[in-house]
Amino acid sequence: MTPLIETHGLVKEFARGDIRVLALRGISVSIERGEFVAIVGKSGSGKSTFMNILGCLDRPSEGKFVLEGQDVARLSKDERAELRGQKIGFVFQAFNLIPRTSAQENVELPLIYSGASRAEQARRARESLERLGLGGRTEHHPSQLSGGEQQRVAIARALVNHPQLLLADEPTGNLDTRTSLEIMKILMQLNRAEGLTVILVTHEPEIAAFADRVLTFKDGEIVSDEMGSSGEGVLPASLLGEKEGKDS
Amino acid sequence: MKFLRMTLVAALRALRRNKMRSALTILGIVIGVAAVITTVGLGQGASEAVQSQIRSLGTNLLVVVPGTRTRGGAHSGWGGASTLSVMDARALEREATGIRAVSYIRRGSAQVLYGNSNWRTTIQATTPSYLDVSDSAMAQGDFFDERDMKNGARVAVLGGTLVGQLFEVGEDPIGAVLRIKEASFRVIGVLESKGGSSFGSDRDDLLLVPFTTGERRILGATLPGVVEQIIVSARTETSAHEASLEIEDILRQRHRIRPDQENDFTVHSQEEIANTMGSVTRILSSVLMGVASISLLVGGIGIMNILLVSVIERTREIGIRMAVGAKGSHILVQFLVEAMILSMIGGIIGIILGLVGTQVIAHFAEIPFVFSPGAIVGAVLFSGSVGIFFGFYPARKASNLDPIASLRYE
Repeated sequence: MTPLIETHGLVKEFARGDIRVLALRGISVSIERGEFVAIVGKSGSGKSTFMNILGCLDRPSEGKFVLEGQDVARLSKDERAELRGQKIGFVFQAFNLIPRTSAQENVELPLIYSGASRAEQARRARESLERLGLGGRTEHHPSQLSGGEQQRVAIARALVNHPQLLLADEPTGNLDTRTSLEIMKILMQLNRAEGLTVILVTHEPEIAAFADRVLTFKDGEIVSDEMGSSGEGVLPASLLGEKEGKDS
Repeated sequence: MKFLRMTLVAALRALRRNKMRSALTILGIVIGVAAVITTVGLGQGASEAVQSQIRSLGTNLLVVVPGTRTRGGAHSGWGGASTLSVMDARALEREATGIRAVSYIRRGSAQVLYGNSNWRTTIQATTPSYLDVSDSAMAQGDFFDERDMKNGARVAVLGGTLVGQLFEVGEDPIGAVLRIKEASFRVIGVLESKGGSSFGSDRDDLLLVPFTTGERRILGATLPGVVEQIIVSARTETSAHEASLEIEDILRQRHRIRPDQENDFTVHSQEEIANTMGSVTRILSSVLMGVASISLLVGGIGIMNILLVSVIERTREIGIRMAVGAKGSHILVQFLVEAMILSMIGGIIGIILGLVGTQVIAHFAEIPFVFSPGAIVGAVLFSGSVGIFFGFYPARKASNLDPIASLRYE
């Protein structure tokens, strides 16, 4: 079986005036279905650029990015938009919910563009919210929800179209420790129980520790690709204790 | 279709989120559309009023007045020089074939006394044919006849305004004796009201007497047989032009005007008057319409302005929509639909307001209210296209946003 994601010599070049900046210098990596991958690195290491390419939001300057056997680099803007809607779910650091719009309507958003009927939209959005324990919060607006709840709405939105891939860009960056753990448990649960491929960008090692595999970026290159503890004993006990201690 | 409905729902939600702003944007369009509807309606009403007044002057009417049309020279217009006479009128009656009836008038003003009342009015000395030629009708009594004319009978026919000024309500004016310049006149009839004219004169404020009587008793006979206007009724509406040429021929001959000389009289046709007044109203209403369109344009710019602000403010939302699968065209359509909703709602309210406004103004200005479905369809289409036109630039700007930059936009 072909891997879910395969990249060959991905290069991304930005032009800042006359100066050309290489954000990615030939990334070749392969990610299988059902993997839980964390991408770590300092800011400017190229990890966000890489995520944008994986999320079909951006195109590489050179190289190949194959998603489920399809070369994304060759697709048009509209075809990539369609691919995002069908195969990829996004979770962002800043939640990125539409303000003054109910949780239900926020979760329905991807369905509008995939052409589901009105009744199906409502039903699937409600199911998705219930699955994340937000059944009683469907009519709340983002401002009426806690950070953790907002991120759960965002996850519900990411899952509503049954994507192949969940891309989470610093999903815990705006959350306190306890809520961060809660969100990470949800992501792990989705990966373990439902075989959803999760790729996570973070700069916090304790969050990266949840993943099975950790890719470390530096100056546009992958400097290490390690298989982690494969989910058992998730966090070092000391760290967990320390965090909870800080929290209370 | 399904997508359009979704977009409509999304657009309505977006507009609801900024109620005040949406309402103010709509207000701009409302004012623009209402102004257009009102000016078009009033313009049509005014020209309708002018046309009906001209019709009320009498059908196929031609008026001959002394003097030429002034074009820079010192010629005088209506009734200036005394070049037309009773003999001219009789000649026309005799010789012109395209003419149905001829009348002539001389006017002056005098104080009319009755009992304790008195009123200064226009005294019009004319012929029995005046009733027919001027397309007037009797409200009461009779008009004077040829015998009154021959005998110089001291009889008078009154206009409605004069009756109101001299007599008590309910009093019968027929048979009453009036005094004008030391002579007594018996009232034999009252004319049906013609209403005010578009230039403010009261066409019912007059007293008619037989020409001979008027000349002798009231207006003075320093120049006997001189008339101010010869009023001619052509056989048919289409023959009015030929009749006017015929009149010109006959009068030139009678006045011994050489071919190289100008006429010493002018023939005004009803058509000419209608055209002049019609073009005046047309120019006025197109000027007003232009002004009104400017306000609609300003309303449209308001939509563009608001949408540009909205695109910037909702940059992140646009990024989110793109991330979850919206194509550029989806975003474009959404903003266009928002613009169209704003302009259509504004258009509909504007039409209602405009119609009400037209009716109110038409009522107070005493011009007919003309309901024009064309103007309404036009206003709806126009406001819709204002929405599309002014919405397109912001919508295009939104659809071309880069999703990555938009998602990070603060």
